[in-house]
Amino acid sequence: MKRDARLALAAAAALALLPGIVLVIAHLPDFGRHPLPYGEAINGAATRERHVTNMVTAVNFDYRGLDTLGEEFMLLGAVTGTLVLLRGRRGENVSDAPAEAEGRPIPPRSDAVALACRFFAPVLLLFGIYVVLHAQLTPGGGFQGGAIIGSGALLLYLGEGYRIWRRLVRSHLFDAVEATGALIFALAGWAPMIFGAKFLENILPLGKTGALISGGLILVTNAGVALAVAGGFVLLMVEFLEETRTTKEDER
Amino acid sequence: MTILLAALLLFAAASGTGVVLTRKPRRQALAIAVNGVVLALLFMALQAPDVAYSEIAVGTAAVPLMILAVLASLKTDRPEQ
Amino acid sequence: MTVLPWLVALWLFAIGIYGIITSRHYVHLIGCLGVVQSSTYVFLLSAGYRWGAGAPIFYDHPPGTPAVDPVVQALVLTDIVVGATVTALLLALVLQVHKRRGTVDPEKLQPMRR
Repeated sequence: MKRDARLALAAAAALALLPGIVLVIAHLPDFGRHPLPYGEAINGAATRERHVTNMVTAVNFDYRGLDTLGEEFMLLGAVTGTLVLLRGRRGENVSDAPAEAEGRPIPPRSDAVALACRFFAPVLLLFGIYVVLHAQLTPGGGFQGGAIIGSGALLLYLGEGYRIWRRLVRSHLFDAVEATGALIFALAGWAPMIFGAKFLENILPLGKTGALISGGLILVTNAGVALAVAGGFVLLMVEFLEETRTTKEDER
Repeated sequence: MTILLAALLLFAAASGTGVVLTRKPRRQALAIAVNGVVLALLFMALQAPDVAYSEIAVGTAAVPLMILAVLASLKTDRPEQ
Repeated sequence: MTVLPWLVALWLFAIGIYGIITSRHYVHLIGCLGVVQSSTYVFLLSAGYRWGAGAPIFYDHPPGTPAVDPVVQALVLTDIVVGATVTALLLALVLQVHKRRGTVDPEKLQPMRR
């Protein structure tokens, strides 16, 4: 339908919802001054029960681990869908040379960018691994650390150029990494059932609060999520960047 | 309502508006990156460091890169028919 | 002004939907979808806030100090990362559309009429 018709329809819908919106905002509790029963329960109990100091990680991987399992498989599904769409359409005949638009030369990589990326890419990768490993102690976790590791791989591309980067980053390896991450999470859910506990129950020894090895099953699920997210982001970047290459017929 | 929190909330509203009103996709990638940084600052002010980590890594690095790569492919691709 | 967070979330939602309605390029539309998603993040995190409380990390102060709600933070941080991968899926669909129809303008991609 036409753009003006769409806007008129949206305006009419907004007007119809306006009394409801005003009512809801008037009845919402005061910002910052209302009780948080679930949050306080977790803040009070998690350190004693699971020996972790990062409450968000405890909620993500232990108390609400089932939701995180769903989210991780959503991520796996989205990445798989993207890969199927892009790889299926592209086929096998892409080369290493970048595709050109008519009339626009491709600028060469500048030395400043290469130097800065060569310095910062290992730092960022190390930082990402640190964020993943300290999930239960300080702010961090599998999702954040995986995203940071993905950004580190992106800096590698910016610093080295496409050819060298593709030799470093093999897509078969990262396919396996991502799938392994999801598999680890699923197995960490089923393993307690072998020993008679419930699905995703924390049966490993909990360790000392504040030590790097603490939290029991949180370590395993956290590692699974980190592998899946890092592998997923690197795979997405590889696929999107490979889209920008010429096909082999054009190169000839 | 502290001044910092109110200013960051208004700043986030402004940067979100900027993302929508930037019609050209190549410029919008940069607007999305700025929006990511502003949102990360807002999440830090709301005492959520974990969320700020995610937002910075995703909003400033991953999403703008994907958008720019797709725009490059759109410019150099030839449609099928 | 204690309703400012809710108003900002509402404004971001509304302007994002306005951008989706009046978009002329599918990649621009995907950016506006991101703005709509960020409105929900602002709303959730504001719902979990408490005055004078710190982050829910008890590494250097004992548990029992006032802290904000960790449950909404857990929701939002997984949501941000999964939202980025769904954005990637949408971008792959945009590439498919361009390959088949030669254009990424929503106005020009009306379904064929008999």
